[in-house]
Amino acid sequence: MAKYFGVDKIFAFLRTIKETGGIRASLYKIYRFDNLRPGTLVGTDKFGNKYFENPHYFYGRNRWVEYAPKYGMDYDGSQVPAEWFGWLHYKTDYLPTNDPTRPKYEWMAEHTENMSGTPGQFMPYSTTTPKIQAWVPPKN
Amino acid sequence: MTSQAVRKTLKEVKPILSLNRDEARRRVLNLYKTWYRQLPYIVQTYDIPVSVDKCKKKLREEFTKYSESNDIRLVDMLVIKGQMELKEVVNVWKQKGHIMAYFKDTVEPKPKDFLSKFLNGKD
Amino acid sequence: MLRLTVSRALNGAKSSPTCLSVASRYQSDQKKPDKIEVFIDDKPVLVEPGTTVLQAAAMVGVEIPRFCYHERLAVAGNCRMCLVEVEKSPKPVAACAMPVMKGWRVKTDSEMTRKAREGIMEFLLVNHPLDCPICDQGGECDLQDQSMAFGSDRSRFTDIDFSGKRAVEDKDIGPLVKTIMTRCIHCTRCIRFASEVAGINDLGTTGRGNDMQVGTYIEKLFMSELSGNIIDLCPVGALTSKPYSFTARPWEIRKVDSIDVLDAVGSNIIVSTRTGEVMRIVPRVNEEINEEWLADKSRFAYDGLKRQRLVTPMLRDNNGDLNPVDWEAALITVAKVVKHAGNSIGAIAGGFADAEALIALKDLLNRLGSEHLCTERTFPLDGSGTDLRSSYLLNNKIAAVEEADLVLLVGTNPRFEAPLLNARLRKAWVHNETDVALIGPQVDLTYHYEHLGDDPNVLRKINEGDHEFADKLKRAKKPLIIIGAELLERKDGGALLSTVQNLSTKLNSNEDWKVLNVLHKVASQVAALDIGYNPGIDKIKSADLKVLYLLGADGDHINKEDLPKDCFVIYQGHHGDRGAAIADAVLPGAAYTEKQATYVNTEGRAQQTLVAVSPPGRAREDWKIIRALSEIVGAKLPYDNLNQIRDRLDEIAPHLTRYGNAESANYFKQAAELSKKTESAIDCKPIDVKIKELQDYYMTDSISRASPTMAKCVQAVLKQKQSACN
Repeated sequence: MAKYFGVDKIFAFLRTIKETGGIRASLYKIYRFDNLRPGTLVGTDKFGNKYFENPHYFYGRNRWVEYAPKYGMDYDGSQVPAEWFGWLHYKTDYLPTNDPTRPKYEWMAEHTENMSGTPGQFMPYSTTTPKIQAWVPPKN
Repeated sequence: MTSQAVRKTLKEVKPILSLNRDEARRRVLNLYKTWYRQLPYIVQTYDIPVSVDKCKKKLREEFTKYSESNDIRLVDMLVIKGQMELKEVVNVWKQKGHIMAYFKDTVEPKPKDFLSKFLNGKD
Repeated sequence: MLRLTVSRALNGAKSSPTCLSVASRYQSDQKKPDKIEVFIDDKPVLVEPGTTVLQAAAMVGVEIPRFCYHERLAVAGNCRMCLVEVEKSPKPVAACAMPVMKGWRVKTDSEMTRKAREGIMEFLLVNHPLDCPICDQGGECDLQDQSMAFGSDRSRFTDIDFSGKRAVEDKDIGPLVKTIMTRCIHCTRCIRFASEVAGINDLGTTGRGNDMQVGTYIEKLFMSELSGNIIDLCPVGALTSKPYSFTARPWEIRKVDSIDVLDAVGSNIIVSTRTGEVMRIVPRVNEEINEEWLADKSRFAYDGLKRQRLVTPMLRDNNGDLNPVDWEAALITVAKVVKHAGNSIGAIAGGFADAEALIALKDLLNRLGSEHLCTERTFPLDGSGTDLRSSYLLNNKIAAVEEADLVLLVGTNPRFEAPLLNARLRKAWVHNETDVALIGPQVDLTYHYEHLGDDPNVLRKINEGDHEFADKLKRAKKPLIIIGAELLERKDGGALLSTVQNLSTKLNSNEDWKVLNVLHKVASQVAALDIGYNPGIDKIKSADLKVLYLLGADGDHINKEDLPKDCFVIYQGHHGDRGAAIADAVLPGAAYTEKQATYVNTEGRAQQTLVAVSPPGRAREDWKIIRALSEIVGAKLPYDNLNQIRDRLDEIAPHLTRYGNAESANYFKQAAELSKKTESAIDCKPIDVKIKELQDYYMTDSISRASPTMAKCVQAVLKQKQSACN
């Protein structure tokens, strides 16, 4: 009956607010991510990004990431590391923690986010020696 | 003596189009009017970011640039040049950039005196 | 050794035509034999007896191909490329070595001649590698050109398996000359140059026939200050320039005629540039100065022009560090200081300053009311001082050194202070029986000389006549005294100069022959003295200056300690060296390859450099910097372009703009008369020169100090001196 009148939606909404950690936290989440969804936390990567799943939503929208609080509003897709990327984009249903096919070698580099537009961005440089070497005055 | 000689040579100069100043003046005014009437169409066909009023000002400027010219032959020659120019514009032999070249407000003048040449590193 | 053979030949032996050709120049006073007529390609020509076929052909404009023959070297006659047919002679004759006989009919383009050339060319190419595409000589190679012009049009070379082609190991003869000995065609030009001109008997041949090799016998450094010239002499790519190797091709470089300023001789050079970079420097023929040779420092120090450069104006901040600023800020700051200083401003001109910058700086300081304008190098001011040009010029000119019969060198080491003057002296010694004597430290001049000790009082004794050398001088028809500018920097320089002046007036019998010659060490000195700078910086040290303007003054003459505490030092120049290090403001100028500027060499010959590359970064031409500063200071100089400033130069001293002319000086007697007033006496301190050995020669100024090639040379020489086979 409650379902018929849609009262359960109100309860679900209230439960979501409770899970999120109160009204204040919920409002902040809406401010950050533009939505508020109930979901089960399936894992956290080493950067602190949280990955959620809710099969209640349709395929394509039922897995999402909530970026770590340290990013603030400066989050973007490149902050998702490669191992979670596959799960998030439905390439695989295995979580990185229990994926048997995932290779792991010493030489694999640490994931870095896209640094474009920041001081850490790549700047192309010339490898040819300059024609004239300027005098560098001795520093005191 | 000399003034006579000058007058004589002046008389013997072969006219280009006009025989006297009035005629030359008429030609200039004709050219000016034709350009003036053409301006709205120029703005439209070339789609230039300049209003018709501004074009009129520029037209006047281009004509008054030679206001000091008194030589009838020179005036005639300028009129012929102006007509050629007009024809090129009307027939769209020119392109947008050629029209905009009249409005060269962004071009920095070349340094003239020693110090600014020195500071700019240009000779 | 060399001298004996040549002199014997000069005294009548007819067998060696070389010596005759050399001798013809000096024996002009003897009775001339009648000219004989010969026919070159049916063109009649009258020549002196003893002229070779090749020289006779050159007179009518017929050039005979050659590899081993060179006008300035003895004839070897071993390449055989110059074979020509002579009518009624059964065999072709070598044109370079054969003196013409009366009525000979020489055919330089006959069937026989052509066949002979083709044959020789074929023999040369059989043992010459086909590596023109990777050879540095490619494009300016005599073998390439002549094989195109005179070689066969088809090849008979079938040994494509490379079973027997000659290969020779490369030799390491130093950091300047690269050897690829497989390419050598045994013309022996380098050997002859080394023993005749450079005076180093290190090069020679070993083996015979196909096994002949040119080299230094044991692996050693070719220790000469003229070593770079063997690169130009080599007709093939066997000797190439090491710093220039694989950097550019002759058809892609632009050549600019210029003047060398690394010594006071003012050698004419060609600056080769590509993509705004100096690729190499080669000599330009000027019979009056450098013939066609060039000293190693002038030739190879160009890589110093690319290092340690001042490319932007700099100002010293509160922490004492020099920071780059733009021209506007630099000029305004400097102008403020200059304005504030009033007339307590001084200037020191260094060794690379050109006449235009010197005159601009002098005009500026004079307008500000200051007369403290000095050159780095000092000169005695007693007697006539620098008022009479004859006291500070190499009056007799460089070329005339060859005609002297007795040369007295005082306090100078011409081998390293002016290598090309020394080459002339050696030429005179070899070909003209010139005797040389030296007062000063015993150094190796590459020829024999009489050493009169290093006591300056010897000079006084010679002047007073109680020295055995005095008689010799008196007897000499064309005596020459060359006095080093370094000697005159001594405390008793005035007395020494006065002694020499008196001595030379006594000896001067001929009006056109000038005995007194001063050899300067830096390129700017003569122009600076002509314009009216004070020699020496004592005046600067004693004056209480607020601003000191260093115009490329990089010598260790002035230190921060010599100046008042609050003295603001402005350095204008092209290299970050000693001067820039003590400066409070640095204004970047142009080096000699980057400006059109006037330099006056030690003879008093005005010459101009031309712009080969543009000044790097924000550097500007020197006189323009001073002109711009003058406008901001408020003492605007009245010239805006090069022509106007040259008019100003013309106003001060017209000879400064008569390019190529050496304006001779006069008033020797008056100068000597005035110098008698000199009161100081010669002291007993022995005469010394700074540059005694080859390793001291390479790095003497801000350009050569910045040059890695020159540093390598110093290392190589030091290593060679330590090795056993020195």
